[in-house]
Amino acid sequence: MRRAPFRVFLLLALVPALFAPGGLRAETTLVDPAVNTRVEMLDNGLTVLLLPDRSTPVVSFQVWVKAGSRDETRYTGIAHLFEHMMFKGTRNLGPEDYTRYVEERGGRLNAYTSHDVTVYFEDVTADTLPLVIDLEAERMAHLEVTPELLDSERQVVLEERRMRTEDQPQGRAFEALLATSFRAHAYRWPVIGWRSDVEAVPAEACRAFFDTYYAPNNLVVAVSGDFDPDETFARIERAFGAMEPVSEIPRSPTVEPEQRGERRDTVLFDVRAPLVMTAWHAPPTGHEDGAALDALSVILSSGRSSRLYRRLVNDEQVALSAGGGYWEMQEAGIFYGSLSVRPDASVERAEALFFEEIERVRSEPVSEAELDKARRTLEVNLVGGLRTAHQLGRRVAQDWVSFGRIRPLDERLAAIRAVTVEDVQRVARTYLAPERRSVVQVVAPPEGDALAAPTPEDPS
Amino acid sequence: MRRAVGLLAVGLALACTSAPPAWELPPPEPSEGPVVPQDRLHRVSLDNGLRLLVMEDHSLPRVSMGLVIPRGAAAVDVEQAGLVSYMGELLNRGAGERDALAFAQAVDALGASLGTGSDWDSITVYASGLSRDFDALCELLADAALRPRFEPEEAERLRAQRLAGLERAKDDPRTLVGWSFAEALFAGHVYGIPEVGTPETVARFDAETARAAHARFFVPDGAVFYVSGDIATERAVARVRELFGSWDGAQREPPPSAAAPPAPPAERRVVIVDRPDLGQATIYLGHEGLTRTDPDRIAVQVMNLVIGGGGFSSRIMSRVREDEGLAYYAYSGYGMRRDGGTFVVATGTRAPEAGRAIEMILEELELARSNPPSVQETKHARSLAVGRFSLGLETSDAILSSLVDLDVYGLPPDSLDTYRTRVKQLNQADLREAALATIHPERVAIVVVGPADVLKPQLERFGPVSVVQP
Repeated sequence: MRRAPFRVFLLLALVPALFAPGGLRAETTLVDPAVNTRVEMLDNGLTVLLLPDRSTPVVSFQVWVKAGSRDETRYTGIAHLFEHMMFKGTRNLGPEDYTRYVEERGGRLNAYTSHDVTVYFEDVTADTLPLVIDLEAERMAHLEVTPELLDSERQVVLEERRMRTEDQPQGRAFEALLATSFRAHAYRWPVIGWRSDVEAVPAEACRAFFDTYYAPNNLVVAVSGDFDPDETFARIERAFGAMEPVSEIPRSPTVEPEQRGERRDTVLFDVRAPLVMTAWHAPPTGHEDGAALDALSVILSSGRSSRLYRRLVNDEQVALSAGGGYWEMQEAGIFYGSLSVRPDASVERAEALFFEEIERVRSEPVSEAELDKARRTLEVNLVGGLRTAHQLGRRVAQDWVSFGRIRPLDERLAAIRAVTVEDVQRVARTYLAPERRSVVQVVAPPEGDALAAPTPEDPS
Repeated sequence: MRRAVGLLAVGLALACTSAPPAWELPPPEPSEGPVVPQDRLHRVSLDNGLRLLVMEDHSLPRVSMGLVIPRGAAAVDVEQAGLVSYMGELLNRGAGERDALAFAQAVDALGASLGTGSDWDSITVYASGLSRDFDALCELLADAALRPRFEPEEAERLRAQRLAGLERAKDDPRTLVGWSFAEALFAGHVYGIPEVGTPETVARFDAETARAAHARFFVPDGAVFYVSGDIATERAVARVRELFGSWDGAQREPPPSAAAPPAPPAERRVVIVDRPDLGQATIYLGHEGLTRTDPDRIAVQVMNLVIGGGGFSSRIMSRVREDEGLAYYAYSGYGMRRDGGTFVVATGTRAPEAGRAIEMILEELELARSNPPSVQETKHARSLAVGRFSLGLETSDAILSSLVDLDVYGLPPDSLDTYRTRVKQLNQADLREAALATIHPERVAIVVVGPADVLKPQLERFGPVSVVQP
């Protein structure tokens, strides 16, 4: 049955300034490409964002599923493992057909899973777009998850886990950091999942996860770059229109309770350069303090004039790198600090110097010059993020998933320009309090102790 | 009237539902033709030999630029391995009127990036930022490239950082495997030493060695300055002429490149870098490859898309990951440099399975010779190569960077425009010859980072094993 689409026609009402402040300039004025985004909704609830730009030879097709590791209930890692299974075949396609069809046309395809979302993308030339739409719709409608394919793919995921986490000091540190900082919220477990869970996930659980979260009213499709919007929308409507919406998308109600006191964890690992990572609780994405926290990140860690670089890397020479930043997720955020301690330096001293610098931004205002630099850097980063069809598609989809709208660039630039020295100090005082931080050290085992044996190997 | 519209709608719906899915249609023929927007590209030469490439692109108010020296890490003696990277890193730690801190503040105040990158065959001092800051950025870049201060205390600080960094690099299995693989292939040659050097060579560096290296490498003859983005060509040319036109040294030649490396040993051998704490074996397997200017390079690269460079659908990935679930990544690739190159197959698998994974890869390399790419695989690979190429040239920065790369290696400047046609002309026989000429499983070096006690018994069957410490 063909459904008459219920159309939401929304052209972003953004009138670009013709001249930048200060009068006529030789340079191009920044015009937000997202101005041209057409937003449609099928009557099954699927949102489609269309952002045509015929000047690029590439079109990026992205499907954003509002399901990530935070939505896992029994098996951690299932959102990510399932993402892998999306490439393993459907009723009409064999296990490797999907990638073969796209790759033999030179397309780039992949997927990623975060705490909040799972994203599938194909960056292709315009003549491959119809194929990509049909393939994506096929796996949404007719995916097959067999126990045999799942068993093979779980081994692949366990190798990914070894590579990214178990054999990497940074991976170890980050996993321990989230597990220490979050005690209640689902952000406490790693996106890739705990090893024992990945080893145990059955095919039925994968199918149940798919049925629950891969519904049209939980998806956002973004198309950006070289395509015809009318033709493309018609094809998407035809391909995805028959998907059945679900009445309810379950979400966990858990809110992380306030942290009252510093927490610490130590990971013993064969490292020459120890790591110290810190996390403070910070607000979720879209919060009004976001711009000030971003500015604080730049002042602390962007470039060789940044405070952490100057003090820890250059002057005291205790670290090889020192940085940190605001990391915003849908339901909570953290402000993290990361320190790679020099093999010839003391971990304790490096950590103490790091916290001294944190206390300094809390107790004294930053300089106007530092704030100017921060504002400028954030502006340049925003502009730099508009270069490719993929980046643009990602931006509009991310905004839609997080806020249900596309934030105009002008709004974001205005927020950055409005940040004051007082704001920076206020957010530092509010969020970077010692009693709200968690600290993880990755250090070598004491001299003479045997190293931990590798994790026992697969049960197959 | 109403009825007629209804019928029409039904007709359309039927037509839609009966259309075959797009995957049942054959892929379109890969497109051909030029890809460089000549109307936006301008080439200018200055009297001192410096050449300019400018590509205008006014879609965003940003600009990027760089000075490229067509010699790199390979153009030093083995005793000085790492010197180019060290010297490059010092360029923006104090230059012109500014000391290191003032220089960093000037760059950061613009929200810009400015730095030096080097590889085996070139050094690039690059900058990017908003187009309204073009003049300031260009001046800072000229200071870093032409007037670095090489202050002794900065040089000493960097040396200590480099030594500490070499130690930290051993925490990363991928870095370790790369280092040992290079040594297994090119011991005694500069290609056998990490680009950043070793503790022994880095210990020799100071402000004076860096200054001397700078004087040797930074000559205008052969160098290229590129600018892309939101800038008028005349303005860019005028500014570069003003800042670099009086750059002296037109009479000097850039340093000679390295001699070609000697042929690696002609038998299979195994090196284990012992990291007892690791659960995964990180594997590099391969031998020497070809140079960047080898006339067969395109046939070889297209052949490699079938064997292991084509992503999920290539033979090695398909076997090791999709069929056997042994690895997250498995690929093959050719590293092509001015005077030599590498062919490497890389993967990572749980340590107890390392022997099985290597066995499989060796079989695939045998098959690359005995069962070379079929007609279908050849067609697929050509289409993949052309599509990837097109995607890779999405931005002006990317096009310009590819053009500069051609210049560094003295390849024809129209190589991008002719690439797709050259790929299209390749046939199955070309790919078979490419495989026979460049894949030699009987004499690979097999380098594995992981727990030696688990690995050694599995790997002895492949050849003589040496176990080394990181």
